[in-house]
Amino acid sequence: MTQTRSNTAQSVRFQNVGKSYGDGWAVSGINISIEPGQFVTLLGPSGCGKSTTLSMIAGLETPTEGRIMIGDRDVTTMKPADRDIAMVFQSYALYPHMTLYENIAFPLRARRRRTPEAEVDRKVRAAVKMLGLEAMLDRFPRQISGGQRQRVALGRAMVRTPTVYLLDEPLSNLDQQLRVQMRSELKDIHQRLGATMLYVTHDQSEAMTLSDLVVVMSSGRIEQVGSPRELYNNPANLFVARFLGEPGMNILDGEALDGRLRGPGFDIPLPVVAGKAGNRISVGIRPEDLQYAPTAAAVIRGTVRTVEYLGSRSLVRVEVGERLIAAFLPPSVDLPAGAAIGLSFADPDKARFFATDGGASLHFHQNFAG
Amino acid sequence: MKILSRASLLIACLLAGIIALGPILWAASTSLKPTNRIFAVPPEILPQNPTLEHYAKLLAEGVHWAFLNSSAYAVVAVLVALILGATAGYALMRYPVAGKPAVLLVFMGTMAVPGFAVLLPTQMLATSIGLHDTWSILPILYAGHILPFAVWVSRSHFATVPRELEQAAEMDGYSRAEAVWKIVIPGAKPALLAAATFGFLHCWNDYVTGSTMVDSPELRTLQVALIFFQGFHGRDWGSLMAGVIIATIPPVVVFLLFRKFLIGGFADGSVKG
Repeated sequence: MTQTRSNTAQSVRFQNVGKSYGDGWAVSGINISIEPGQFVTLLGPSGCGKSTTLSMIAGLETPTEGRIMIGDRDVTTMKPADRDIAMVFQSYALYPHMTLYENIAFPLRARRRRTPEAEVDRKVRAAVKMLGLEAMLDRFPRQISGGQRQRVALGRAMVRTPTVYLLDEPLSNLDQQLRVQMRSELKDIHQRLGATMLYVTHDQSEAMTLSDLVVVMSSGRIEQVGSPRELYNNPANLFVARFLGEPGMNILDGEALDGRLRGPGFDIPLPVVAGKAGNRISVGIRPEDLQYAPTAAAVIRGTVRTVEYLGSRSLVRVEVGERLIAAFLPPSVDLPAGAAIGLSFADPDKARFFATDGGASLHFHQNFAG
Repeated sequence: MKILSRASLLIACLLAGIIALGPILWAASTSLKPTNRIFAVPPEILPQNPTLEHYAKLLAEGVHWAFLNSSAYAVVAVLVALILGATAGYALMRYPVAGKPAVLLVFMGTMAVPGFAVLLPTQMLATSIGLHDTWSILPILYAGHILPFAVWVSRSHFATVPRELEQAAEMDGYSRAEAVWKIVIPGAKPALLAAATFGFLHCWNDYVTGSTMVDSPELRTLQVALIFFQGFHGRDWGSLMAGVIIATIPPVVVFLLFRKFLIGGFADGSVKG
């Protein structure tokens, strides 16, 4: 990606960070290393600890253990105001009694910055020009639309060129069309500012399209850190495999014997990598990596449950043993529900194998210590 | 039918207006009549020879000092009660105060205690600590009267200002105190102004506390000073009515200034509080 790195952009490091509220750990064992100028997304289902993690960088929560570094500074117990971080909240958190101009100028007017008014004006106008808000500076937040509020919140963050931007589900209150538009605007802004941005979302398409690095979390722990491609093609475990993709990776549990993995409705050759894993192994395959096969050549056999016609392809749900798997097949494959169907792997190398117990990938040994 | 119901509504409003405004207009009229025309029969609705002699007499008697006393007591009491009330209200809303429900219940309870029940103990206490008949006793007591209400109102209205706004201000480089001052207080401004108006009216209209806690003429409130026109001058109705009219002006001005907040503030509290 070509981007100009901002002078102020800094690295962020989580060193074994955990947060406990007394009754168990909300998050634990968090190790993330973010380079200056990177766009990093914390992705996970709600309650996975991603917002808590963001709050700890912001200084709104203090870690129970571990350290957080921004650049060379240890900010673990530093007050939010001292961290030189900007945050865009899910609710935008615009100050309702201030005009848009006053909202955006607010950080510059903090006593600690002592920005001369002429400088405030210049910076506010530069920010609003970039965001296309020039015409409405005298309005109040209640008088503008959701997308415009979103831009004002971004403007308020941008205006003081912080070391790190934190964005907490900033697009979730927008309608679908606006969300897609703001997503690309956000990407554009990131590239122009070259800033370090940390983004929290439960929407995987936002994470995949925007990020240099995605941190997948669940139940307060990091499941995997990697680029969107790495995560999609080479998930570290069954959680990431199922969580990413729409629909997620198909998983079939089987028993390994004599170099083959067998289970109800399937019988596939096992790669060498699976040899050391004992005999309970799960195979994962993306819906687009399955193809329709005459029954004799099929490695998976099942019964068609539903067919969703999507125009360029059909999403076919197939019952294999007791599992339901999904396959994207050419629209020409037109089978009624209840019909027998055979499937094979379009590219056997794309199949992923996991230890059924624990769910760890057999292809993947990620060192989280970063 | 529609016209009929509108007409009856109009008549009802007119009647209510006359009942509410009648005595005040009559007092205004009386205050402008020469003393010998006050009890004229048939009564003069509008004074035929209007005079300001009663107002001049009030000035001569030094009633303007009582007016200033009342104003000063009320303003100081309202400011103290609002500052303490807002601080306590914020703490009770935001921090894990031990026994919070009990504290709130005590505040509520003090509002329910009738003033007369604690009048005598308060007077004895004020005497024993040497505050009876001093300039500070009335602002202190008035502030005490208003405080529970101020705490209650500010707490419930601060709660309507989202926590994220404060956090945003902190991220923007402001201290917690600055965030409260610049974000939370303005957010609750209507409610605080409503509480201030209510508090001011309470202080201004007080008679009982003012007459019990101070004796010196130079410390008297307006309400107490006016009562002396009944006895010492053999019911000087003209001066008394002039005093009543003067006493009515500040509440009316305050109400007109903050009318919007007074009505909006209480309505808000009833739904969101």
